[in-house]
Amino acid sequence: MRSLSVAGLLLALVLLSAPATSRAREHLEVFVTAPYLELRTGPGRGYPVFHVAERDQRVEVLFRRTDWFKVRTERGVEGWAAQRDMLRTVLPDGTPFTFDLGDRAGFTSHRFEMGVFAGDYGGATLISGYGSFSFNSQLAAEVAAGQFLGKFSNGAVADFGFSHVLMPEWRLSPFLMLGTGLVHVTPKATLVVPSERTDQTAYVGGGLRYYLTRRFFVRAEYKSHMVFTKRNANEEVDEWKLGFAFFF
Amino acid sequence: METGIRVLLLTSLLGVLSGCASVRNWFHHRSEVRQAKAEARAEAAQADAQAAQQDSDATPPRVVEPEVERRKIKVPRIKSSNVEVGVQYGFLSIEDFGTQSTYGASAAYHVTEDFFFLGEWGRAYGGRTSFETLGGNIQLLTSAERRFTYYDLSLGYNFLPGEAFLGRGIALSSAFYLVGGIGSTQFAGDDRFTVNFGAGYRVLPTDWLAIHIQVQDRVFRTDLLGVSKLTNNMEATLGTTVFF
Repeated sequence: MRSLSVAGLLLALVLLSAPATSRAREHLEVFVTAPYLELRTGPGRGYPVFHVAERDQRVEVLFRRTDWFKVRTERGVEGWAAQRDMLRTVLPDGTPFTFDLGDRAGFTSHRFEMGVFAGDYGGATLISGYGSFSFNSQLAAEVAAGQFLGKFSNGAVADFGFSHVLMPEWRLSPFLMLGTGLVHVTPKATLVVPSERTDQTAYVGGGLRYYLTRRFFVRAEYKSHMVFTKRNANEEVDEWKLGFAFFF
Repeated sequence: METGIRVLLLTSLLGVLSGCASVRNWFHHRSEVRQAKAEARAEAAQADAQAAQQDSDATPPRVVEPEVERRKIKVPRIKSSNVEVGVQYGFLSIEDFGTQSTYGASAAYHVTEDFFFLGEWGRAYGGRTSFETLGGNIQLLTSAERRFTYYDLSLGYNFLPGEAFLGRGIALSSAFYLVGGIGSTQFAGDDRFTVNFGAGYRVLPTDWLAIHIQVQDRVFRTDLLGVSKLTNNMEATLGTTVFF
């Protein structure tokens, strides 16, 4: 019963925060320069074409989902147009309609990155995710968080640092990392129960990223963590991980 | 006679000498002509300028100044709607602990029309094992340990995109999708590395609202009942998500 009420509450929250697409707003208008612009019923190549906008017709660009644009024609017909078709439209002043394409050039230079990793943290299995903000094509600030599940202890890690891509225009490009973080360890001992602990860490690392296609790339990295413990000696932990990431 | 000859000579001399005056023109004639023409042009231009000046002085002053500045077109930003957030409710079969209701939340980012990243969180409460039921008053786990909490980070693939038809007039876009990922499950006082995989069906009544039916298996290794074994925990949920 309790779970039902929690679920109901969550549902109500989501529905109440319904997005602003229904609100009236000013939309971008573009003109078709190709012989026609195909409109599909959904944002994907598998959805059928049900309408076309002719050359020189004006269409309103309502919003974008992945590589598809929801547009409305002069007659009020709404449909989804592909990115490659929208490249053949012009703005009212005659200049070409340009937008972020999500291609190889975007891999070299982009704003945000997110990714998911699986790996090894000092012998324990690691599940982790990261996000980064790029200041330019080489320097980025990164935040990573993960959970490690080992035989003797479980725990969580959080890192904040900077990464530097050495050759951003290469398909396989190496990068270096430097930063600090926290590690929380929950030991699993059964006889004596050691206390949980949270320590600060510092790390240095490096890795490789390889552009796959569209907005995707593979990222493999190694971090060498120095854990500043409250005991006499500091600990060193190696972290290896491999994952999928995308840029936007 | 003498005077006649003298007059003739003087006259011819005068003629010859005056002819000599034109000798320098024999060699510099062309440059002279060019210079003369240039001067003539300059004079003409000056005259035109003066004439124009006089003309402009003659016309009355304009009352309205024409504004010929190029119009600046403000390009409205195109909203991106790639994020999908929602809640789900359903049933989870916890191996050895019966089938229980589960609830959770999910967030997805659609990277391309085919692929999306999905993060899920959910919770259920494990029931009694058959051992506990048959054994009478035996409690294998405390009620806090029966709490089954999971999260996962998955990759999803949309396949079989299409439309669902409601009667004659309504067509809703839909898609089957496959998901698979890794995560962690907290159950019986321990966290375990969990692999999840499954499939779902998504139908969109509007562009921003989606209804999901999803079935997933959450697999992890546990030695809770004496032997280490892989447990399969099947989950079926009905969810609703909103695109942002």
